[in-house]
Amino acid sequence: MAKYILKRLGTSLFTLAVILTIVFVLVRQMPIEGYFDNFDKLDQAVIDARLKQLGLKDPLPVQLKDFFVRLIHGDLGTSARYAVNVSISEIIGKKAPLSIEMGVISMALSLVLGIPLGAAMARSKNKFWDQFGTAFIVFVSAVPAAIYYIYIQSFGSTLLGFPMLFSRDDWRTWILPVFSMSLGNIAYYAMWLRRYMVDEMNKDYVRLARAKGVKEKNITMRHVFRNSFVPMIQYIPTSLLYTVSGSIYIESLYSVPGMGGLLVDVIARQDNPMVQALVMIYASIGIVGMILGDLLMAVIDPRISLARKDSAR
Amino acid sequence: MEEKTPILSVRNLNVKFSLRGKVLHAIRDVSLDLYKGETLAIVGESGSGKSVLTKTFMGLLDQNGWIDSGSILFQGKDLAKYKTEKEWLTIRGGEIAMVLQDPMTSLNPLKTIGAQIREALMLHRSMNKSQAYQRTIELLNDVGIPDPVRRIRQYPHEFSGGMRQRVVIAIALACNPQILICDEPTTALDVTIQAQILHLIRDLVKKYALTTVYITHDLGVVANVADRVAVMYAGDIVEIGTSREVFYDARHPYTWALLSSLPQLGHRGEKLFSIQGTPPNLYAEIKGDAFAPRNPHALKIDFERRPPLFQVSPTHWARTWLLHPDAPSLDPPEVLQRLRQEEWQ
Repeated sequence: MAKYILKRLGTSLFTLAVILTIVFVLVRQMPIEGYFDNFDKLDQAVIDARLKQLGLKDPLPVQLKDFFVRLIHGDLGTSARYAVNVSISEIIGKKAPLSIEMGVISMALSLVLGIPLGAAMARSKNKFWDQFGTAFIVFVSAVPAAIYYIYIQSFGSTLLGFPMLFSRDDWRTWILPVFSMSLGNIAYYAMWLRRYMVDEMNKDYVRLARAKGVKEKNITMRHVFRNSFVPMIQYIPTSLLYTVSGSIYIESLYSVPGMGGLLVDVIARQDNPMVQALVMIYASIGIVGMILGDLLMAVIDPRISLARKDSAR
Repeated sequence: MEEKTPILSVRNLNVKFSLRGKVLHAIRDVSLDLYKGETLAIVGESGSGKSVLTKTFMGLLDQNGWIDSGSILFQGKDLAKYKTEKEWLTIRGGEIAMVLQDPMTSLNPLKTIGAQIREALMLHRSMNKSQAYQRTIELLNDVGIPDPVRRIRQYPHEFSGGMRQRVVIAIALACNPQILICDEPTTALDVTIQAQILHLIRDLVKKYALTTVYITHDLGVVANVADRVAVMYAGDIVEIGTSREVFYDARHPYTWALLSSLPQLGHRGEKLFSIQGTPPNLYAEIKGDAFAPRNPHALKIDFERRPPLFQVSPTHWARTWLLHPDAPSLDPPEVLQRLRQEEWQ
């Protein structure tokens, strides 16, 4: 197992290097006007000096080599335009924990609500809970999220009296944004769990369990649920990533100082070092998420063995 | 066969399914006695209702199916009246157990086979963990799985098809049932394994004094294991008798046709026999003998009135007008006459 994880981490480093190289080269294909606020009014000499200062005058391979050398020493560099000359580790160090904390809480909420909903839907196929859940899922997927986010904010604050704006130290201000963030995942988990459980319920081993006299309730709990969870568990770590990186709109709606919108922001401002650092962080979370997903799957499904062992036939 | 006390009696059973707004009449007025200690084989082609019939004994009909009328008497109770899960739990496993067709899919892939056998033991035998462990080892020995102490901890994917079917049989035995229903237990296995599993079931049936129902479309299996044979066609039992009677003295034209299609009975150079036409549509009400449209010997009355069960011998009945005293006498097909002669020699 340890050997397998090491091997996966090794290949992941390579993947990460490829992603970074591609992004590094791509951002340098942007027009240089983007690096200046008032390009038209500047002398060529000033422009050249600034470009040199940003390190853009060297040949591309040299720039790339410098970047990786600094990265290996743990230096992400400083922001070029977002917060000029502030170290990137400091910017992200301030914003990331909040986003991750929110993402984790929202994930936990999605699992706690989405999984029982999916299971209830599967057990009462075509009856109340199933129809209720289907209506909910269709609503969440079909209505643009921005619309119900706004309604949640306005109803939540006027009818329920929750604060409109986020403040880190007041737990009541967390409720609306976290709930908004969870809705999509609740629907997503419920939908897939219901589907996988309905599939499993038609399998022969369920019929055999029924024939040997296991109660319907225990068939669902002991046999069907775990089997249906195998294909889902793989995606849970990755969906945490989406929750953290995809909460741009919610963070701006409640003025959460997280990093949801940060990547889009720094791309628009052509802050190359920030773009590279953020891509690296997101890519790493994504890769680690996938490894974790595979490990989780191997933990609950004995048919998947990561360390090669002899199967006794 | 020694004494004949019925352990399960089916009377005038009708089972219907609703499918896409239409009603399918899957079991049509079936009556059947299952005698204690016997092995009964139910044969028939796909869709003839053999599986559905046995599913009604355990309340395992799919949700869109129901018992329309009739009774299933078992130990003084009418199973046809059972509705709730609680009632069925007194029957399932503990009184009637089942071995399913495909061992590759009938075990839970995420649980060790030990846990799956133990689940049955703890449900029906109220054993504690260590007793259940001991018993599981014994059962694995009984069904011929070598090295049970190691195997008990393994998962289904670590077993071959034949070995998994042995595990399924062990689960059925763990329930300690009176009646064992084997729903095509060897169909999904390859031929060399089939014989092993058949032998195993035969030995275990003796050892545990079980009453067994075999569902199969393989007449070779029937000849091997069954005391009695019931032939089903279009949801009805058209002929029932001892194995000998059905194989060597069949009376229903459908049984004739079924036996004639056995490749083993053909002779070199002859064309293999096959039954013309297709089984009737069970959505429509069937008039007369269901087999009449495919029966080259059909009489006029076959299309008009359903034949009653005529008694051929104390153990042998067939539902065909050919047995009516006024019917023209008709000899069974030549291959079957040949079979009967070989039997006498």
